[in-house]
Order: sequence, then C-alpha cells, then structure tokens
Amino acid sequence: MAELRLALRFARRELRGGFQGFRIFFLCLLLGSAAISGVESLSDAFLTGLQDQGQVLLGGDVSVNLVHRPATSKERAFLDAQGRVSEAISMRAMAYARDNKGRQLVELKGVDDRWPLFGAPAFTPAQNLRDVIACEDDGVCGAAAEQSLLDRLHVRRGDLIKLGDATFRIMAVLDSEPDRISTGFTLGPQLLVSARGLPATGLVTPESLIDYTYRVALKNAGTEPAQSRAAIAGFRARAQAAFPDAGWNIRDRTDAAPGIKRFVEQLTMFLTLVGLVALGVGGVGAGQAILAFLDRKRADIAILKTLGASGGFVFLVFFLQVMMVAVLATVLGAALGAALPFATVWTYGAKLPVPPSFGLYPVPLLLSLAFGLLSAVTFAVPPLSRARAVPPASLFRDLIVPAKTSGQNFYRAISAAAAIGIAVLTLLVAPSPVFAAEFLAGAVAALALLRLLAEGLRRAIAALPRSRSPLLRLALTNLVRPGAATGGVVTALGLGLTLLATVTLLNATINTQVSGALPARAPSFFFVDIQPDEAASFDSVVTGFSGASDYKRTPMIRGRITALDGVPSADAKVAPDAKWALNGDRGITYAATPPPGTVITEGQWWPANYRGPTLISLDQSIAQGTGLRIGDSMTLNVLGRSFEGRIANLRKVDFTTGGQNFVLVLSPGLIDKAPHAFLATVRVTDAQENAMYLAVTDRFPNISTVRVKDAIQQVQDLLSSLAEGVSAASLVTILAGLLVLAGAIAAGARARLYDATILKVLGATRARIALVYAIEYGVLGAATGAIALLAGTLAAWIIAFSILDVPLTFDLKAVVVTVAGGGAATLFFGLLGALGALRARPARRLRTA
Amino acid sequence: MPNNPPPALSLQDVSLTLKSLAGPVDILNQVSLEVAPGETVALTGPSGSGKSSLLMVAAGLEKPSSGRIAVTGTDITKMGEDALARFRLGRVGVVFQSFHLIPTMTALENVAVPLELMGVSDAFARAEKELRGVGLIQRTDHYPGQLSGGEQQRVALARALAPGPQILFADEPTGNLDGATGAGIADLIFALNAERGATLFLVTHEESLARRCGRMLRMADGKIVANG
Repeated sequence: MAELRLALRFARRELRGGFQGFRIFFLCLLLGSAAISGVESLSDAFLTGLQDQGQVLLGGDVSVNLVHRPATSKERAFLDAQGRVSEAISMRAMAYARDNKGRQLVELKGVDDRWPLFGAPAFTPAQNLRDVIACEDDGVCGAAAEQSLLDRLHVRRGDLIKLGDATFRIMAVLDSEPDRISTGFTLGPQLLVSARGLPATGLVTPESLIDYTYRVALKNAGTEPAQSRAAIAGFRARAQAAFPDAGWNIRDRTDAAPGIKRFVEQLTMFLTLVGLVALGVGGVGAGQAILAFLDRKRADIAILKTLGASGGFVFLVFFLQVMMVAVLATVLGAALGAALPFATVWTYGAKLPVPPSFGLYPVPLLLSLAFGLLSAVTFAVPPLSRARAVPPASLFRDLIVPAKTSGQNFYRAISAAAAIGIAVLTLLVAPSPVFAAEFLAGAVAALALLRLLAEGLRRAIAALPRSRSPLLRLALTNLVRPGAATGGVVTALGLGLTLLATVTLLNATINTQVSGALPARAPSFFFVDIQPDEAASFDSVVTGFSGASDYKRTPMIRGRITALDGVPSADAKVAPDAKWALNGDRGITYAATPPPGTVITEGQWWPANYRGPTLISLDQSIAQGTGLRIGDSMTLNVLGRSFEGRIANLRKVDFTTGGQNFVLVLSPGLIDKAPHAFLATVRVTDAQENAMYLAVTDRFPNISTVRVKDAIQQVQDLLSSLAEGVSAASLVTILAGLLVLAGAIAAGARARLYDATILKVLGATRARIALVYAIEYGVLGAATGAIALLAGTLAAWIIAFSILDVPLTFDLKAVVVTVAGGGAATLFFGLLGALGALRARPARRLRTA
Repeated sequence: MPNNPPPALSLQDVSLTLKSLAGPVDILNQVSLEVAPGETVALTGPSGSGKSSLLMVAAGLEKPSSGRIAVTGTDITKMGEDALARFRLGRVGVVFQSFHLIPTMTALENVAVPLELMGVSDAFARAEKELRGVGLIQRTDHYPGQLSGGEQQRVALARALAPGPQILFADEPTGNLDGATGAGIADLIFALNAERGATLFLVTHEESLARRCGRMLRMADGKIVANG
C-alpha cells in the first residue's frame, strides 16, 4: 500500500510536466470512447424516444390490423368497448391527373373522423384535417398528398385527381402524419383521404389487398407505464379469448415501430463494434506512443533504478501515469459522446424520423468508460512492462536495438485478461451476440493478418538488394530500421482502411445484385389486385405486346400462419432468419400442378385433380427455420377463418429472382373458394415498357402497377444512403489510424531531423531530402493501402460467399478509395510531419547534439 | 605577374547573434580571418568562446548576422540553404565531435553518401578505398551502433575526405575519445590531410593538438584574440 502511495506520488510528479508524451495515446482513447459513447447515447435517445412517443407513433395504445376485410360488427363492438377507436383503410392504388397525362402508384390511406387519436398531421398550407378531407356536395372529396405526388402528376393544390372511379381535389400538401413511421416500406407517395370517399372509387372489394387498421386509445391505459402495460396485456388477453380466430395482427405502443427499433438496435451494434475497432486501432498507436514515451524517459527510469527502485515499482509509476491519462481521456470522450444526441437534433432537427429523447444515459457512459479503460490496459501493459524488465545499463545503451526482455508472462496475462474483458462485455451488450462474436473474430483475424503482412513487408524491404541511390536507400532503411513505425502504421491505418474497403466492396456487391443481376432476371412489372372478372381481358392486353415474355398470373390471397403443428406461432421456437414468415400476413397462392420452375427438394406434389384436405407446399428454408417436416400441420388464418393443412412437399424458393415467390402454395379445394384477386408479372422489352404501362393503367385504373425499375431504384437509394452512413462511420477508424500515423511520425521526428541535418552537411538539398520522405511515405502508404485492400477483399469475399451467397463484385472505387486514399493520406501527413526536419538549420541541430 | 590563388577561407567582419529567451546573445563579434590554401590552422579557446560557431559559419552550416565569408574564393555569404549544400559537395569536408553518422547505414554506405550525392559512378569503390585508408576495411558492413567511438570517428573522417575537399573542418574531433584513441585519430587527420594537400581548420581545446598545426588562433568572447 505504501508502495502504491509512493508510486502515485511519483506518477503525479511526472505528470506535472504535462501530457506531452501522451498526446497520441490520449487522442486515440478519446476518439474511441467518444465514438462508443456517442453511438450508444444516440441509440438510447432514439429508443427512449420511440418508447416515450409510442402512443403517437402507433396512433393508439394498441393497433389491430386485418387484411382483405374490415372488422365484423361483433369485433368492432368489442373494440369500441375497450376505448376510443379510429379506423384507417390503407391500400396501394393508381392516381391519375385529371387530364390523364400523369399517373402514379400511391399509398392510399382513408381515415375516419376520429383519426388521429394522438398527435396531428401537418399540412402546407396549415389547415384543419377535417377541412382538408371534407367531401363537397358534388361528391368530390378533399385529399392531402405528399409533394412528390404533386410533382409527378404535374398538379397543383386545388387540382382534381382520379382514383379508380372517383375524383378528389388536392387541398393541401401532406407534410407529416403522426403514425407514418409505423407504416413501414412504401412504394409510392402517401395520399390521405376521408374513408367516406373510398367506396366511390370502386377499389374497395373483398378481393383487393387492403389493410384495415383499428387504433384504440384504451380506457384504462392511464399515464403510468406500468398501468398502460397492464391495460395492453388485458386487451390482448380479452381479444384472444373473444376472437381466437380473428387472424388479426395486434401491435401495441411499446413496440410502435418494430422495424425502426430493430434497425436502430442493429445499427447501434455495428457502429459500437466500429467504435471498438477504432479503440483497437488507437490501441496499436497507444502501444507505440508508450514505447516512444519510454524511450524519452529512458534516463529517468535508469536513474530511478540506479537509486534502488525495483522493476515492479517503476512499472507501477508509469502504469499509474498511463491510467491517469486513460481515465481523463475516456471520461472526456464519454462526455463528448453524450452530447451527440443534442448535436444530432441541432443539426437534423425535424428531418429525424423519431425525435430522440434528451437525457443523460448512464449505460452508454459506463460502457465507453469500461471499453476505454480495458483497451488502455490491453495495449499499454505490454510496452510498459519493458521498463520493468530492462536493467538500467541497457536502458542507457538501448538506442538502436530494443533490449531483450524476460519475465513478461505475468504482464501478458494482464493484457490478455483485459482483452477478454472487452470481448465478454461486447457479447453481453450486443443484441446479436453471434454477429458481434463474428465481427470481433473478424477484426482480430484482420489485425493478425495485417500484423503478419506488415512483418512480411518489413522483411521484404530488408531483403531487397541495397540500392545504389543513397536517397532510396535511406528511405527504405527508414522503413525497416529497428524501432521503425512501419508495423504499427500498416496495422493501425490498415485496419481502418480494411474496414472501409470491406464496406465499399460489399456495397458494390449488393448494388450489382440489386441493379445488375436482379433486373436481368426480374420482371418489368408487378400488377396487383387484378379482379377475377377482368383477368381475361388483362391477359390479352399484356400478352398483346410483342415484346412481352414470361407472363405469369397467379391467384393471391393474404393470410397468417397462426400455428405450427398445433403450437401457436407466438410460442413456437423459430430460427431468427425464419421469423419474418410468421410476423404478419403472407401472400398465399394455390396451384393444381407445380408452377413452372418449381424445384421440389422433399416430398411429392399432389395429383392435378386432388380436391381433398388442404395440402401445403412450403419453402424449404422456412421449414428448416421452423423445424417443420413433411406431414406436419400448419394452421392458417385467411379472411378471419382458420383452417389446417398438411405439408406435402418442400420447395427451393429463390427470393433473389425478384419475381413471384410464395412461401406457401396450397392445394385447390378450399382456398380457391375464398374471394381473391390475382397477381401478375411480365417482362417486356425496354422499348415497349412505357407503352405497356400506359396501356394497363389506361384500361385498368383499379390495378396497382408497380414498375420494378422504380422499386429497385428506391431500394438502391436506401442502400446507398445506408452504405454512405456506414462508410462515414468507418472513417472514425481511419481517423484513429491517422492519429497512429501522426504518432509514429512524431516518434520518429528526432531521428528524421538528425538524418536530414547530416545529409545537409554532406551537401544534400532540401528537395533531395524531401524526396527521401516522399519515397518513404509513398511506399508506406501504398503498401498499407494494398495490404488493406487485400484484407478487405478477403473479408468481403467471405461475407459475400458465406452470408450473402452471391459472387463478390470487385470495383475500382474500392481500389481507389483504399490504396490511393490511404497512400495519399500517408504521404500528405508524412511530408507534413517532415517539414520540421526540412526547415531545421543544420547548425542548430548540431549545436544541440 | 603570376596569379595568386584565392585564400582557402576568408572572413571579413563576421558577426553572429542568436536569439535566446533572455534576449539576443552575441556569439561572434566582427571576426576577420584569412587562411591560405594548404594551411593547417588550429582554433582554440575556452568553452563558450565561439570556436564551434565560427567553424559552423565558415563551413556554411550557419548564416552570419553580418560580414562576408568566402571559401576557396567563392562568396557564400548570400547563398541560400540549398545553394550552400551544393557548394559544400566536393569542396568542404566536416568532422564533428559526435561523429554524426547515419545510424541506418553501414560504414561503407555512410562514406559513399557524399560521393553518391555528387553523382560519382564508382562511389562504393572509392568509399571502400577510403575505409581501407582509415584502417576499417574489415568493418564496411557494420552499422554505427556496432562500432566503437574511435571507429565511428574514423568512418566520419573517411566520409569527410572521400570527395577530396579543398578544405576540411574538424570540430573537436578527439573530444569524445579517450587519449590513445584520440591521438590515433589526430595522427590520421594530419597524415591524410597532408597527403591530399587540403586546408585544415581544426577547432580544439587541446593545446598539444593545436600545436601540431602551422598556425594557432585563440578566441575569447567571440573575437580572435591571438593569431600566430
């Protein structure tokens, strides 16, 4: 204890001189801690925002959704007894400008007089909702549309548009709706009308794909979270007891936007892992900075030892210094990160889909502190232990060749324990521990690979025949001299660049799949809600085009999988990648014979004339994820009716074709009696694409026509903004890498200044000396970029091959970004750092030597 | 009338003032001096008298605050840093008390550097010859860190003399060496210099070493106080 107190006193005394030796160490830790604290704080702020505003975002305490049919009178009476109820009808439809020049697929929402129960929509110009959607005496009802619909239809406020058989007047631009976020992915602009105006359109038929959503403000919800949770649980229980076969999808305010919540959680995990990589990169630099620091403190250490200090005491003195700096850096980093939610709102304000909830979130702060301090211990202890192990005499002599050290195992164990602590903490807080473990394993493997390649590079340069040019010789020997920072820079900056290369290559791969491979096989159009009485004429219009091919019209009805072999879906054990099939409604079709292209992997297709109890052909991956086998039963709910079917066969469904893919194909006999519409797809030559669009939308205004190109564009836009965000996040690791480079340059400044001085004395001009640095940093940067590209390509290939199951697309952008970007940055910072050596007057340096 | 060769070194009213935290410090004060070609001159004086600074200024490693300096007849006073570096190539050799070898280069490479900078095609062969001349042929592939102080200074001497300079500046060349080693280095400097007929400008505070030169100058407070 007395030794600790003494060591603390020594450490404080040493730090009185300032942080000069710890600047890079401090900055690396600050950056990593700030990144983790920032990401986690922002995530908590968003998730708390989602929680706090759940009622508004969902539009009620609970939301009850039915497909194809409205609630029956009994169901409605039940809902009305629970509290205030608002009904909204949502569907996709084609909107036409009255002059018929513009047409556009829209997300149509018809609302009753009670909508919205919470919050309010915003219009331009500001108006009352009732005035906007009111119906006039002549039967024309008002509508509010997103600005993008007005632009695409070339209409203005006050103009008339057509939806099916009815006419609506655009009264306002719809800027926002309180419950928009709970809607999910959309294919067109939003159009808001009164539900009263919908019947006149002729679009509301039992066959049409329509969502009926009932939002309920529960009577007994109260304001306390516990009370509202109890009310919600009570509602769910009563609804299940009263209408076990309703087939409705009930959501509540605690999970108003599950998609957004999942997205925020997943993104947070990824960005936290990126923050950890930044800490790792910084850690490499921190290790180097500490070595350089010890190099400068060589005399102090030797004197301490000469005066009788033990190796352990010397270690303690310097370890305490490092940890004092680490605590300061992580606390400051955590505080900076905690300010990120405020900065985000200040920067993006109203553009945010969910307003973050301000506050000080202790968990992110503690997490970033823990990660920061653990990584400080991981990376600082091994170099610090050298000071303990080296005898005083060798400290004085150890200028060129690092001394050999012994008795390091204890310190290596401390470092390893801290590293394991980081891994355990990561897995504990990650929503997907498997992904986190894979990412960490990948990062550690990349780190090891980079270390290996850096060592390979060092040896390769050392093995090169000595150049006859003194400048080239000096540049190359600078890279391999004992104590050179080559390994650290290649590893640290290389890790950041590897991440960037991986993200860039994966983005290119996914883009190729979406924009290249997919359209090559995908249909040109999807036609939804083809009514049975217009099917024949629709067929003839579409197939009348000479450029049409692969035309396919299939009956489609939506239904829910409510039980798996007798076990309710909610209680069934299902693999994460198969859960989507049980969440909400799925498209179901029926067929007497296997649809063209069907690949049966197990079991038999039913006879063409089979009319017995329902048999099911199931997607094999869903069967795998749910554990269902041939002969097992599945309970389905269609239009509020539950029925059971047996699995007759499993099919291989390739969802990457972009065409019609059904998880469930049923045998005819029962399902074909339910009212249903048809889904059709067709490929058409580019030359005839527009003509077909006009022909179908002219003749069949009730059919929703989805142009696949537009949908792909929308997906691409979404993907590219996501990729941009992730690339921007990986810049944090590159910034950490550049800090390491700056540290290496600073550490080598003394030797560089010395070399430059001698060369000047011997007659070298500044241009020739600058050339030495240009060669040195050019080689270092290009090699780091090339090595990172290699590691990034390998990582991207593994992910593409084993997770995405697609071939890797290698694009030039990744090469340019990684190799040229990395090389240029290294060269730039290297030359910037060498300016001091170029400027220095020889006499000044020689005077102090 | 035959043309007299220009002096190897000529200083006229050279002053040097350096800035310090305590204010400007006068290092050299109106120093004038001429050294004839082939002459050996020793500059002595107490520590802080300005000996090394005078050498730096004369070798073009430091720019004077005022005055005029000519080396082998060329006025270097107004030359920029790069012009001075080019001027030193092949004309001026410098040996330091702290040797100042490039640590990442072998002994042979260190000696070859000025020759290579001059573009000499057989730089390594000549460097090898120079190392043989200082008795270090068996140490060509050794790095400075692997050589003793005396060996390092011999490499430094070989490097300074390799391009055949007209004038050799030596700043306390034996100052960091023990007596016997220092004496050996001194012998080498005088022998090699005599062999090549170069001018020698030697800064030292060792009286015995200074006496081996043809002329002795003494400095005090930035001025030459004794000449002869």
